[in-house]
Amino acid sequence: MSPQGRDHRNGRVTIRRLPTGVPGLDEILGGGLPEYSFNIIAGAPGSGKTTLAHQIMFANATPEAPALYFTVLGEPAIKMLRYQQQFTYFDQAKLDGAIRFVNLSQLVLDEDLGAVLDAIVKEVEASNARIVVVDSFRTVVRKALSSASEMELQGFVQRLALHLTSWQATTFLIGEYVEGELRDNPVFTVSDGLFWLYQSVERNSIVRKMQIMKLRGQESVPGLHTFRITARGLQTFPRTFGLTNNKSEHVKGRRRLSTGVPDLDAIMGGGIPEGDSLLVAGPSGAGKTVLGIQFIAEGLAQGEPSIVAMFEELPNEFLQRAASFGFDLDKHRKDGSLKLIYLRPLDLSVDETVHEIVTAVKEIGCKRLVIDSLVGFEMALAPDFRTDFRESLYRMIGALTRLGVTIISTVEVEENFTSMGLSNFTISFLADDIVRLRYASINGQLRKVMMVVKMRRSQHSIDMCAYEDTSTGLVIGEPMRGYRALTSGIPGPWSLESGQNEPELSRAPKPRPRSPRGKNAK
Amino acid sequence: MQVCEKLQTSVTKFAGSAGFNSLLRRALALARAEVPSLQSLEVGLDGSLKGCEALAVAADAAPDGTVAIIAHLLGLLETFVGEPFTLRLVRETWPDASVHD
Repeated sequence: MSPQGRDHRNGRVTIRRLPTGVPGLDEILGGGLPEYSFNIIAGAPGSGKTTLAHQIMFANATPEAPALYFTVLGEPAIKMLRYQQQFTYFDQAKLDGAIRFVNLSQLVLDEDLGAVLDAIVKEVEASNARIVVVDSFRTVVRKALSSASEMELQGFVQRLALHLTSWQATTFLIGEYVEGELRDNPVFTVSDGLFWLYQSVERNSIVRKMQIMKLRGQESVPGLHTFRITARGLQTFPRTFGLTNNKSEHVKGRRRLSTGVPDLDAIMGGGIPEGDSLLVAGPSGAGKTVLGIQFIAEGLAQGEPSIVAMFEELPNEFLQRAASFGFDLDKHRKDGSLKLIYLRPLDLSVDETVHEIVTAVKEIGCKRLVIDSLVGFEMALAPDFRTDFRESLYRMIGALTRLGVTIISTVEVEENFTSMGLSNFTISFLADDIVRLRYASINGQLRKVMMVVKMRRSQHSIDMCAYEDTSTGLVIGEPMRGYRALTSGIPGPWSLESGQNEPELSRAPKPRPRSPRGKNAK
Repeated sequence: MQVCEKLQTSVTKFAGSAGFNSLLRRALALARAEVPSLQSLEVGLDGSLKGCEALAVAADAAPDGTVAIIAHLLGLLETFVGEPFTLRLVRETWPDASVHD
């Protein structure tokens, strides 16, 4: 017996996997397409079924292992070829011996299922095809059911599957189905793989999703995965973010990273634990982005490649703002140690966004990431994805911190003077650490107050400190003593009875004794 | 061709007659590429090889041809269901044969 196809560890047959040629899809499928499998690509018109089949076919067809594409009363073959040629995967050279198109429309109209089966078998046997596509198989089924019983149809599908598998072909039947047809459908029963493509339009956004509803023989990634169709064809964005085989060796908190604001590092207990996700929450104008700039500038000064994913400011505006604080981030952008990712197309999925960030993280070996801001991020998503925003953020933060990236996410909170929220998304549970910035009305002035609300696994100062947004960045002042209800934003003297009615901060803020900005200071 | 008939019984038990038929057709097609004289053989609807008489006349080719068909048939079984299962099937078909993993 040949050792080919044998798993020597346990004697089980090894199923070889074919590449799909669709970025991200091999990971979703658990490593690729099972060879010799009999698959259905289902979905509504316009969902990308024909494009997916073509992309797989062009990725695998060779003169030695050719592909046969049967067209049946669906999109006319001439038009299909005309449009498919616009995709970059369409390799004209493959039409010369590797890929052949066969039109079965007339046969399906004139003959019974037996004749259709015979014609497919004959072509497959004659060409030794290894990839077979029938588009649209739904048309064949519709015709069959008009003259044959369901049992006959099941027999036909089973014979087709049997023959094509015996003939060592990997098969794709394309059909316009709706989910309600899943039950008791002989086509779905016989198939080894069922790829369901969805397309929904909400307001001005088109959202495409794919689900592997069934895949015999291997473990696919469950759930809905978003995809796009571009000039390159389909690109999928697995829910696993391309990190299925990522064996994380990063230990959270092995060292502390400076925020670039030494006094903030001090009240955080030494900076941000490496690999943590820090949420900086505060109202508009509180200095969230400034803190992000300082964090990134500090990392770059340390030689740590960094990324800023921005959803509000344009990259040039961001660089200009950084320059106004004395940080020349543009030179780092030019030398490749800083990547600015600007995402604002309003029909993004979180998975697509994370795909872009993860790709950049791997590309530059990123250590620090600023997401500015989560509110802008949510706005950039297609409405359909906003409902899953929290769950998606959870997966995203987890994926990125597992890569060893330390993240600062900014979030704008609507300030009120009765309570102190941490974010409008109830996402604070996603953050290892939380810093809250807020305004307080003190003695006729709108003052800024900073507090560390949470540091997972470590101690931190419980002081609430005044701070200022200066021309060199955030400058933290002394802890604010002598006030009550500071978190409400309308503090008063701590104790009227004690006569302490003129607390320290009613006077001009006194900055903390300035420690040097650290050895890494600009 | 008795070998083929014996295998037909065993394979049909688990794969059905249509399953055996299509595997044999594939095996024959693969064998034809190696032994051109097998062009005259065909697989009948009952899963039997038709045209063996003509093949027998070309005595030189006959042993190679039949061996190639059987080898490909077993090879296909190994590809689809794995070696242990295929060996078990061979042992069931020829209990007295010496078959080693």
